[in-house]
Amino acid sequence: MPNQPDYGGAKRLRMKPTDNSGWVFVLPAMAVLGLIGLIPLITVVNYSFFEIFILSSRFWVGLEWYGELVGSARFWQSFARSSLFSMIVLLIQIPLGIALALCIPRGRLWIGLSLVVVALPLLVPWNMIPTLWLSLLNPETGLLGRLGSVLGWPADWKASAFHTWAVIVVMDVWHWTSLVVILCYSALTTIPAAYYQAAAIDGASPWDVFRFIQLPRLQNVLLMAVLLRFMDSFMIYTEAFPINAGGPAEATLFLAVDLGEEIKAFNYGPSAARSVLYFLIILMVAWLFTKAQGKLDDRDAA
Amino acid sequence: MSFIYRYLSVIKAVGLLAFMVFVCLPLVQMTLLAFVATLPHGGLEVGQATLRNFTTILSEPNLRAAFGNSIAYVLINICITIPVALPAAYAFSRMSFVGDKSLFLAFIAFRITPPVVLTLPIFQLFSALGIVNSVFGIALAHCLFNLPISIWILQGFISAIPREMDETAFIDGYSRPRFVWAILIPQIRAGIAVAAFFCFMFSWVEVVFARILTTTNGKPISMAINALFGFQTDIGLVMAVTLASMAPGALLLFAMRNHLSRGFRIGQV
Repeated sequence: MPNQPDYGGAKRLRMKPTDNSGWVFVLPAMAVLGLIGLIPLITVVNYSFFEIFILSSRFWVGLEWYGELVGSARFWQSFARSSLFSMIVLLIQIPLGIALALCIPRGRLWIGLSLVVVALPLLVPWNMIPTLWLSLLNPETGLLGRLGSVLGWPADWKASAFHTWAVIVVMDVWHWTSLVVILCYSALTTIPAAYYQAAAIDGASPWDVFRFIQLPRLQNVLLMAVLLRFMDSFMIYTEAFPINAGGPAEATLFLAVDLGEEIKAFNYGPSAARSVLYFLIILMVAWLFTKAQGKLDDRDAA
Repeated sequence: MSFIYRYLSVIKAVGLLAFMVFVCLPLVQMTLLAFVATLPHGGLEVGQATLRNFTTILSEPNLRAAFGNSIAYVLINICITIPVALPAAYAFSRMSFVGDKSLFLAFIAFRITPPVVLTLPIFQLFSALGIVNSVFGIALAHCLFNLPISIWILQGFISAIPREMDETAFIDGYSRPRFVWAILIPQIRAGIAVAAFFCFMFSWVEVVFARILTTTNGKPISMAINALFGFQTDIGLVMAVTLASMAPGALLLFAMRNHLSRGFRIGQV
């Protein structure tokens, strides 16, 4: 089955019979996600309207936390920084991921070897990723750090916003591009060999093959890759902060960092309001994603 | 353009190799540090090559326990996720029911919700349920992102099987649950393995839930590494623990290499 092409997957899915007993089958999943997802979410929404010193005594404050948050320059600055970071990350990782997926050679052994090596960063505990990069850049013991002076990399890079951003972006590219590669490669393997043969007979150039055969196949997984990468980079928390503690001068203070700090300080109300706001952003993105997916499905069916 | 096309295979190979070198850079750094003494220990000087960091992992009860905890919660998580995800994936793949698209959207929304948004209420909920500081708590919390991903992967595998097979089985008198158990599951073994692997991968390295849910007990590897940082950090030991923590994943990755790419084959409902 590994090389069996999926002819007209979209069309077959379209013919699914209507059967509301499907709800019985999704019930266990709904129960689990209801317990660990929905109940905590409702709790957060509830908290966000209160001033809470200890959980047994609280005061209704209405939309005050939201007003404070939306009115604060700090929030919008973090929002802008996170948006910019996500844009940069997507602009690098998506094209790079596609390109690398196309570069994976044929031959079982080489496919396996390339996928394994490329996927290695996904296995590093997240809290160790900044540590690895900091030790790589260490001017005395790091492999890159010792080359720093030769390559024009300043020893006091932590004082420069540009260099700190560069480190965090490169680190994220290192960590997550492999997910895009695996996703794209899996889509590429569904292309029937007959398509390539037909293209060869027509004398299509590699670019044409990419544009008219490979890229259309990638659309669905790319949508998922963009969604996952956008959200995970937009809400980057564990990895970015230890690099330079949000510095220099808050230049790398992203959205999730403030939330993390408020939770650590047990500011229930404000942190809950912030969580709700973030969740609304997430819901909007997920909704846009299904809209886009619907468009793709309609076009496939036409 | 034609110049590029002529050497396309060379360019591809060089590009891929360059990226692999880039991937390996921090890992080489880690490996080098893992094999040297970075703090003076009885008779060892700083910078001297040694296996001491690795023997420390074996002799230190906290670190040994951390490896046990990590393996335990990942296994528990897989044992919850797969049986729950399988029927849901089957329903999404084979049936059209009222609200199926919205439900899938809701599941995806939970997958992309950053854990930090839900840390506080999950901590309270789990305290009330009495599963804080235990591997079971982390295993359950990680279902938040593993369950949607597993449903997505499994429904892709199920959709790749022709529906005629279901219909033949029903004509033969199989009930739906018996069909899933006796015919469908053996057909999508590879899919179950891939889903389980991705559960392992996302769960093993996660730190936000792991941090808030294990303050005193049940610490996984990532938190045991955190505990090693202090006034004088033995960075060699830290790197050795990290390297050791990657070993099971690397072995699984190698075992799964031929199936890995099939997990996300059909990314749609």
